Amino acid sequence: MQSDLLLIQQLQQGNAKALSSLYDKYSGALYGVILRICKDEALAQDVLQETFMKIWKNADKYYPDKGKFYTWSYRIARNTALNELRATSKLIQTEDLGVYKDTTATEENPIDTRKLNGSIQQLEEHHQKALDLVYFKGLTHREAHQEMGVPLGTFKSYIQQALRKLRDIYQVEMILIIGFLIEWML
Amino acid sequence: MDAMMEKKEILESGILERYLLGDVSEMEQLQVERYLQDTEIRNHYRQLEIDFEKLAMENAIAPPTKVKNSIMAQISAETEPPKNERLNRSGLKSYLAIAAALALLFGVSSFWLYMKLNSTETQLELVRSQNEVINEELEDLVKNYDAVINDYQIISDPNTVKLIMTGNEKSPNASAISYVNHIHKTVYLNATELPELPKDRDYQLWADVEGEMINMGIIPEGTALFAMNYIDHAESFNITIEPAGGSDHPTVEQLISNVYLN
Repeated sequence: MQSDLLLIQQLQQGNAKALSSLYDKYSGALYGVILRICKDEALAQDVLQETFMKIWKNADKYYPDKGKFYTWSYRIARNTALNELRATSKLIQTEDLGVYKDTTATEENPIDTRKLNGSIQQLEEHHQKALDLVYFKGLTHREAHQEMGVPLGTFKSYIQQALRKLRDIYQVEMILIIGFLIEWML
Repeated sequence: MDAMMEKKEILESGILERYLLGDVSEMEQLQVERYLQDTEIRNHYRQLEIDFEKLAMENAIAPPTKVKNSIMAQISAETEPPKNERLNRSGLKSYLAIAAALALLFGVSSFWLYMKLNSTETQLELVRSQNEVINEELEDLVKNYDAVINDYQIISDPNTVKLIMTGNEKSPNASAISYVNHIHKTVYLNATELPELPKDRDYQLWADVEGEMINMGIIPEGTALFAMNYIDHAESFNITIEPAGGSDHPTVEQLISNVYLN
C-alpha cells in the first residue's frame, strides 16, 4: 500500500507521528493475536507496548520488498508474546494453557478470544481450528499438529485448503465491493 | 530441502506459510528468500500475506488507549521536540501527495478522454464527407438510370420505327438513327456517328412533306438520343449541313443523308 510505504519511510527516519499512524492502523490486529496467545489482558498490553517499541527501534531492519509491514510486525508480536509467556510460565511452573484461560475468566470484563470473527467462520471446523492455532495462538506447525492430533502432513494440507477457501471468500467479497463501487459511481 | 525443488512442491510444502509466521529455521529462511526471487512464488506469497492481514483485521481487538499513550510518552522522551514540527509537515505532505496523485490521475484520464473524443469527431467528419460523396454519386447514378430507362422506353416502344440514315458520297462515313413514333408523335435522333463539323457549321434535320422541306431542328453533335420536332405526313427525313445556328430553308447541295418513311 502506497500510504504504508510513505509512513514506513517516515518511521525509518525516526518520525513518531508515523509510528502513531501505524499504531492506529495495526495495533488492533496485533493485539487480537497477542491476546489470543497470552490469554491475559495485562500481559497482552505489556507485550503490545513492547512490540511497538521494538518496531520503533528496529524500523530500519524492515525491508518493504521482502514482505508486508503487517507480516513483519506480526512476527515481532508473536515472538515477544511467546517469550513473555515462556518467562511467566516458568514463574507459575505450569505449561498448561488451560490454566491461563481460567485465570482470565475471573477478570472483570474478559474478552472472549476463543471465538474468531469474519470470513474464517465460513470455513469448516477443522480448517478454522488449524488456522487459529498457527495464526492466532502462535503455535508452530509441529506444535499445532500435535495439538490437533493429526499427522504433520495432514495438518499442512489443512492449512493450505483453509487458505485456498479463504482466498475464494475474499475474492467474492472483492467482486461485490467493486460492484458496489461501480454502482455508486454511476 | 533440495534446491531443485519444483515450484509446485515449494508451494505445497507449507514452507511459505511457515516463513510468513516466522516459524522457520535460519537455513529455511534463506532458502525461502531465494525461492521468492521467482515471480510466481512471490505473487503466491504476497497473496498469502494479504489474506493473512485481512484475517487479522477481521479479528482485531482494540487495545486500551493507555497502551498507546504509554508508547508515545516513551518515544517522545527519546525524541527531541524540533522534530515534531517537521513531522506535521510531512503528514500534510503525504496528504498533498495523495491529492496530487488523484489530480494527476483525473488529469490524465480526462486528457485521454479528450483525445479520444477528438479522434472520434475527426472520424465522424470523415464519414460525413464520404457519405456526401457517395450521396452525390448515387444521385448521378439515379439520373443516369432515369435517362437510360427513358431512352430504353422510347426505343422499345412497339410503335417506334427505327430508321437508319447512311451518308451519301458527300459524307460517306456519316450515319444516324432516327426513331419515329406516329402514335405519340415523337422523333428521336441518335447522332453519335455523324462526323465532327467545323465550328461554323451545324447538322440540321428536315422533313419532306409533299415536296416541301420543313425544319425539324438542329442536331446537337454527338448526342445519343435527341428529341426533334415531329412533322405530320413527313415522307422522308433529310440531314443537311448548314451554317451554325441553322437555316430556314435547307441548302440542298449540302444534303448528306436521307431516308424514306415508308
